[in-house]
Amino acid sequence: MRFDTVILGGGLTGLVAGIRLQKAGKETAIVSSGQNALHFFSGSFESFGEPTRELADLFSEAGIHLHYQEGVRLMPMGTFRPSALSLEDISLFPNPKFGNKVLLVNIVGYHDFFSSFLAQGLEEAGMSVRIRFLNLMEMGIKTPGEMRSVQLARALDRNWEKVVQEVRLLLKDDDTIILPQVFGLEDASIPGRIRQSLPAQVVFAGTLPPSVPGIRTLHLLKHRYEVLGGTYLMGDEVVQAHLHEGVVHSVVTKNLGQHYLEAENFILCTGSFFSKGLASTPEKVYEPIFGADVSFLPDRSSWYNPSFAEKQPYIGFGVCTDECLKVLKEGAPLSNLYAAGSILGATHPELGMGAGMCLRSALKAADSILEL
Amino acid sequence: MNPNEFDVIIIGGGITGAGTQRDCAMRGLRTLLVDRSDIATGATGRNHGLLHSGARYAVNDAESGAECIQENLILRKIASHCIDPSDGLFITLPEDDLGYQATFVEACRASGISAEIIDPDLARRLEPSVNPEIIGAVRVPDASVDPFRLCAANMLDAKLHGGQVRLHTEVTGLIKEENTVKGIHTRSRLSGEEKDFFAPVVVNASGVWGEQICNMAGTRLTMFPAKGALLIFAHRVNNMVINRCRKPANADILVPGDTVCIIGTTSSRIPLEECLNVAVTPEEVNLLITEGARLAPSLLSTRILRAYAGVRPLVSEDNDPSGRNISRGIVCLDHETRDGIKGFVTISGGKLTTYRLMAEMATDVVCRKLGVEKACETAVKALPGSEEGSYEEVARKIWENPSTSQKAAASRMGSRVSRINSDDRRDEALICECEEVSVGEVNAAIDRMEVNSLTDLRRRTRVGMGTCQGEFCACRAAGLLAKAHGCVERERKDVASFLQERWKGNFPIGWGDTLREAEYTQWVYKNVLGL
Repeated sequence: MRFDTVILGGGLTGLVAGIRLQKAGKETAIVSSGQNALHFFSGSFESFGEPTRELADLFSEAGIHLHYQEGVRLMPMGTFRPSALSLEDISLFPNPKFGNKVLLVNIVGYHDFFSSFLAQGLEEAGMSVRIRFLNLMEMGIKTPGEMRSVQLARALDRNWEKVVQEVRLLLKDDDTIILPQVFGLEDASIPGRIRQSLPAQVVFAGTLPPSVPGIRTLHLLKHRYEVLGGTYLMGDEVVQAHLHEGVVHSVVTKNLGQHYLEAENFILCTGSFFSKGLASTPEKVYEPIFGADVSFLPDRSSWYNPSFAEKQPYIGFGVCTDECLKVLKEGAPLSNLYAAGSILGATHPELGMGAGMCLRSALKAADSILEL
Repeated sequence: MNPNEFDVIIIGGGITGAGTQRDCAMRGLRTLLVDRSDIATGATGRNHGLLHSGARYAVNDAESGAECIQENLILRKIASHCIDPSDGLFITLPEDDLGYQATFVEACRASGISAEIIDPDLARRLEPSVNPEIIGAVRVPDASVDPFRLCAANMLDAKLHGGQVRLHTEVTGLIKEENTVKGIHTRSRLSGEEKDFFAPVVVNASGVWGEQICNMAGTRLTMFPAKGALLIFAHRVNNMVINRCRKPANADILVPGDTVCIIGTTSSRIPLEECLNVAVTPEEVNLLITEGARLAPSLLSTRILRAYAGVRPLVSEDNDPSGRNISRGIVCLDHETRDGIKGFVTISGGKLTTYRLMAEMATDVVCRKLGVEKACETAVKALPGSEEGSYEEVARKIWENPSTSQKAAASRMGSRVSRINSDDRRDEALICECEEVSVGEVNAAIDRMEVNSLTDLRRRTRVGMGTCQGEFCACRAAGLLAKAHGCVERERKDVASFLQERWKGNFPIGWGDTLREAEYTQWVYKNVLGL
């Protein structure tokens, strides 16, 4: 099978690069092994500045509305973190004191939303907080056996109006309502409709993973990519690459076997350690598909800081590339293989970090391919 | 009666102290146990979890071998809910001397340990994970024991017999009048409160810290702290304990325990100052993996969950400060006859397997001093949780159709599991998915088992001991602890120290899947949750 570009990795980076290339008229395929970091997405594209028109359009055409405001957002443990470009769900505030009287709503039997930690953080920021619990069973909502974010979100997508009614009954003179981020798994409009239906500022605060806004973002991007004609190979992974004289000719996947994926260009965005884009043994860190050069410290004892809270050197390890993100192998760039996303580690500090770095490098790799 | 007065005070909340408190309490004494930290934080919780058959010691130390088999058989009855009667193999590999097998079997039998030579083919069938190169195998009655559960059950029974327990309470000095120990000065490490407690007998069961307590009493005891490093693997590759049939050496025991297995150990003397914070070195990790793979080759491809080290509280024999004459046996000292210090007893050395016997010996000395004649009953009376048959029977008595998590709870709590049976379906929600620990079980532990922190909770319920090592359950359980203790700030710090404790065991083995999990944890806690 022949494509213009084959993308290894179907997370945020792969999808953004894929959509960008499809929009430019290229024929692409994405090989995705399944879960990716969007399942744990906080909702903010950290380190990304104001989005270009093109990027904002790319997302809004997919049904994802971004907003940009420099400020802080509320974290699930009750702390605050500087943030700017975010999903619409995520409330951004100029400073941590974003209200006076807060009604914090949790759900009976749900242990993945930390109302007491949140309340403590809000009180430290100078707000008064009331915590109230909704009993979904008493509200006639069939509750999942194990209450985890996604299961709850499935039940609440059909019942969010009942929640709104119940919250209205709990509301006194509060100016702010905090709800867990378990709304709008399938229907992206629900968080906005909840905000419109309540007479106070509504803030959605994060839960333990999986992230409901993250999974929704993944679904919408994937849908958009497929609408544009992209081929998303779900549940498959690249097991081998065919290279000749510094050029990648094709890759072999687990499911397609003999039917190699051939392309003009390839993008490697298989993620970092957790997603298996990088692998490690006691002796080394390596990139398992192409044997690309990896920047890492040779002495294993220097990979870690013994203090968990400190910055961990291994997280900065990544695949080496030239300035156009062409992957290096044995010191020389492969002419048609680009790396993007968290597989780069901290090798390109100018691209930022986290989801912001994924966006920047995805666009940069796509632009290099399009020779823009 | 003054509430600060007891018949006997026990210093040390390891298995020896807990066992001694139980025995003393069962003989009708008013007991107090203090520990500077939580239960089972020293050698008790940092070993293989092996219930020795005694076979390992039979050749070189027949007395220890005989003690082990005697206690092994007793504990199977009185602590059945803490023990997995897995049996053990002593294997001979091509590089070992097969001639040792005959010496070994003879010595086992002389100590009363059943040791049956079996065909290597049968051994491979009984234990498919064993190195297929084996040229000889002997079957012995080794077993696995959960030391946390065993320690908690002893302490619980002591409390049921009226005993008092003060954890996180440090002994700052002994109260002495002339040559008689009359009590202890303490300081709470949680509240800073200083308090004195009095008793005509004080038992020093503080393991490796026994030397310091003896110094406080004005006498001398030379400990020989020997560090042993171990690795926990994320899967239970073996069902039977696998030992090497040769003279005891490094990394020659692989013990299955619950859902994991543990290889160990190494042995190196360390200074006393280092005992509170022992680190596993890369050399030890390499040795444990290389030697472990000789027992069960699949260990090479099995994820390592954690590296940890314990310190054996070995005692140098009297008048030998060099530590050359180390006793691995039980050391029970009546300081009145040894050094003329009245009201002071030290119990040390020994093994997890022989804790009950050690407790009996110490309690006999205490009773003799107090003029109490009641006989020891700990060898015949079951521990709380072990009164009824298998955990599956226990679970079926309580629940018509027990779920896997209810069975898991029954396996941890034994017959006491009925206490978490409530009509509230919400109590069935899982806090820890790896080990299937429910809200009800966590709350029961918080209510009745003196849980101050997530690490304490882990020792009592296995929350966070499974494959994910507390990825999410730490947060969920912290929510319950914050509610129970009414202090959110403390819990936030608690989560941070839980993660630090976990990282300490992870970075020595930080590659492969362990590094993947570590990166994920960094990402989740720092960037997603905002700890």
